[in-house]
Amino acid sequence: MDSDPDTNGAPEPQLSEDEMRLSYLSLEDSRHVPQGVRLERNGSLPADFYDAREDIKPDDVEASPPRMVTGGREGSSKGKIGLIEGLEMDGEAPPSPSSSGYAGERGSSGGSSGTVEAADSGERVLHDDWDKGKRRIDEDDTSASWRKRKKHFFVLSHSGKPIFSRYGDEHKLAGFSATLQAIISFVENGDDRIKFVRAGRHQVVFLVKGPIYLVCISCTEEPYEALRGQLELLYGQILVILTKSIDRCFVKNPKFDMAPLLGGTDAVFSSLIHSFSWNPATFLHAYTCLPLAYSTRQAAVAILQDVADSGVLFAILMCRHKVVSLVGAQKASLHPDDMLLLSNFILSTESFRTSEAFSPICLPHYNSMAFLYAYVHYLDVDTYLALLSTNSEGFYHLKECRIQIESVLVKSNVLCEVQKSILDGGLHVEDLPVDSSLRSGLPCPHPSQGRAGPSSMSDIGGPAGLWHFIYRSINLDQYVSSEFSSPLNSSRLHKRLYRAYQKLYVSMHDRQIGPHKTQFRRDENYVLLCWITQDFELYAAFDPLADKALAIKTCNRVCQWVRDLENEIFLFGGSPFSW
Amino acid sequence: MGCASSIPDKNAGRSDNLNFEHSTVNDPKNIRVKLVLLGDSGVGKSCIVLRFVRGQFDPTSKVTVGASFLSQTIALQDSTTVKFEIWDTAGQERYAALAPLYYRGAAVAVVVYDITSPDSFLKAQYWVKELQKHGSPDIVMALVGNKADLHENRRVSAEEAVEYAEKNGMFFIETSAKTADNINQLFEEIAKRLPQRQSS
Repeated sequence: MDSDPDTNGAPEPQLSEDEMRLSYLSLEDSRHVPQGVRLERNGSLPADFYDAREDIKPDDVEASPPRMVTGGREGSSKGKIGLIEGLEMDGEAPPSPSSSGYAGERGSSGGSSGTVEAADSGERVLHDDWDKGKRRIDEDDTSASWRKRKKHFFVLSHSGKPIFSRYGDEHKLAGFSATLQAIISFVENGDDRIKFVRAGRHQVVFLVKGPIYLVCISCTEEPYEALRGQLELLYGQILVILTKSIDRCFVKNPKFDMAPLLGGTDAVFSSLIHSFSWNPATFLHAYTCLPLAYSTRQAAVAILQDVADSGVLFAILMCRHKVVSLVGAQKASLHPDDMLLLSNFILSTESFRTSEAFSPICLPHYNSMAFLYAYVHYLDVDTYLALLSTNSEGFYHLKECRIQIESVLVKSNVLCEVQKSILDGGLHVEDLPVDSSLRSGLPCPHPSQGRAGPSSMSDIGGPAGLWHFIYRSINLDQYVSSEFSSPLNSSRLHKRLYRAYQKLYVSMHDRQIGPHKTQFRRDENYVLLCWITQDFELYAAFDPLADKALAIKTCNRVCQWVRDLENEIFLFGGSPFSW
Repeated sequence: MGCASSIPDKNAGRSDNLNFEHSTVNDPKNIRVKLVLLGDSGVGKSCIVLRFVRGQFDPTSKVTVGASFLSQTIALQDSTTVKFEIWDTAGQERYAALAPLYYRGAAVAVVVYDITSPDSFLKAQYWVKELQKHGSPDIVMALVGNKADLHENRRVSAEEAVEYAEKNGMFFIETSAKTADNINQLFEEIAKRLPQRQSS
């Protein structure tokens, strides 16, 4: 979509070229099927899918046993077990003995009493409830509270040994794990693979990764694809900690007990699982940058580039979960999912905050079989530097690099700018310019102009009842989302909107009936509008009473606004960061 | 180096990195020492280091990942200074195979156990054996029984530990990172036993 030179300040009835194009697309898309119906027919977007409460669901666990229906080859109809043909092995190559990796069989004498308290200070302020909802060691599958949890995650070995459970002590869940294993292997024995089981309000989603089985049991009404994506990330997080060479331990000993090897990582997994309900990166497969003046970010890029040239594979400067700057050595590229898993690992590990650290770490999309070596250092309470090297002896070199980087960042004021940006926050829908011809690069050009005029639905939110948006740049693998503001002012509402976006994303990318270009939905909570082009994906949420034509117009303005600000909200680098 | 390769150890022999890793520097008045802490998870390695380096004690236990690097300099009575470059390693089982990364070239190893946990004492013995096999030949080893403040729950007797330490040529001390008992003594005692000090 090109810039719109329409500067005659025309009132609403006259749509600009872009606006007409979007209206046209949306009409075209819905010409054959009445709006709303098209998607509901797909069964993926029922209007009443939201639950207000997360942790404990009100009713008892579904009593009726799940029906397993064979022959459901298409694997997507509800109430049936979904099967797909054949054994897809995800291109798993046999572990090569020459590549370095995990040697977990060493040093296993003595018990590993992994007592773990995941105390967190910074993250808790940001994301209020993840540590409250985590691990109830005293629970097991016989406790009522355990059965009432709305979303369980399990990891087990192919022999049925428990490896991880979100709730409860996995050792007490041996029987339960064995049951899951039996279900999976029953289907596998028929040369088939189980995708999910639907049982009443519960969906049981399976993911088999070689000898490691991952299962999610959820009654959150999230789509299968979303839950499967979450299991993929959970598996990726295991690889970050252990690498895929862990599979070798199962080759040597099928009854290998993997749980002790994850000792002390509870906080990493509970933080990841929590991010499934607040961090759009988990389903967009994109990362987000901290808004910064172009020159500030370039200063950070330049110094990171210097160290990358001196033999650092990846140099990553981040603030909380947002990227300040990122540089890879020549030809090395960093997958957005790897960045998510890496930053989650760093942010949820308290010891990194205490002192500089050097730790083996695996980036699954980069090389799932081998460790890289990460030097991690917090420059201030929110901002941290991760320098990744292939060299296990590289600590002192990386430490030197950090000292050099830190002094440049301090001198060029980058750290102050980063702190300022945190305080200012990102994009606010209230600041959306009404005049699409406005091409200034300032984040808040004219706040008074930012509010839409008499046509505004209400005084809260942005123009035309715009509440929130996410813009994903497809080429950059980056997204920007607006800050939550009134009326979306509780974490419960954030999570509800987040799940709605996630559902929207899945329905837009549905392989069987999609992909789609536009979607406009209205329910009692929102108007949701999604627009996908070659270059970007836009997800926007409006007041449920928002006017459709105005909403479309506003989306065009959002896109223009994002493009006007792109030098500040996105990272443009010389080397490719993505595949 | 390192463009698209992710095979570790490929460049392990790079001399520019190894310069920093000499366990000691040959200035008899200002000694620099690489020290590594080893032991089971939860015995209090990080607490000992943080008490020594920053004088702090944080009762909320924080699991160490990989290894943390801290340094602290102490002045001895004969006006020599010893700078300890401390590798505080993670006690989790998955890091056992990676320990050589941290203890290689170390002049001092502090092997820590928890006096209330016989398992951790067994683990300490595992580390002593490992260091005897693969550590520097002239490494100074200390056996440390931490959590001495919990003496009412003691399950590893001091006699047993002393006997083991003597048999293996180690220096033994019981500490409490919580009360700071014997923490400075531990490091001062280590400094006195450094070979380059004894020869000077």
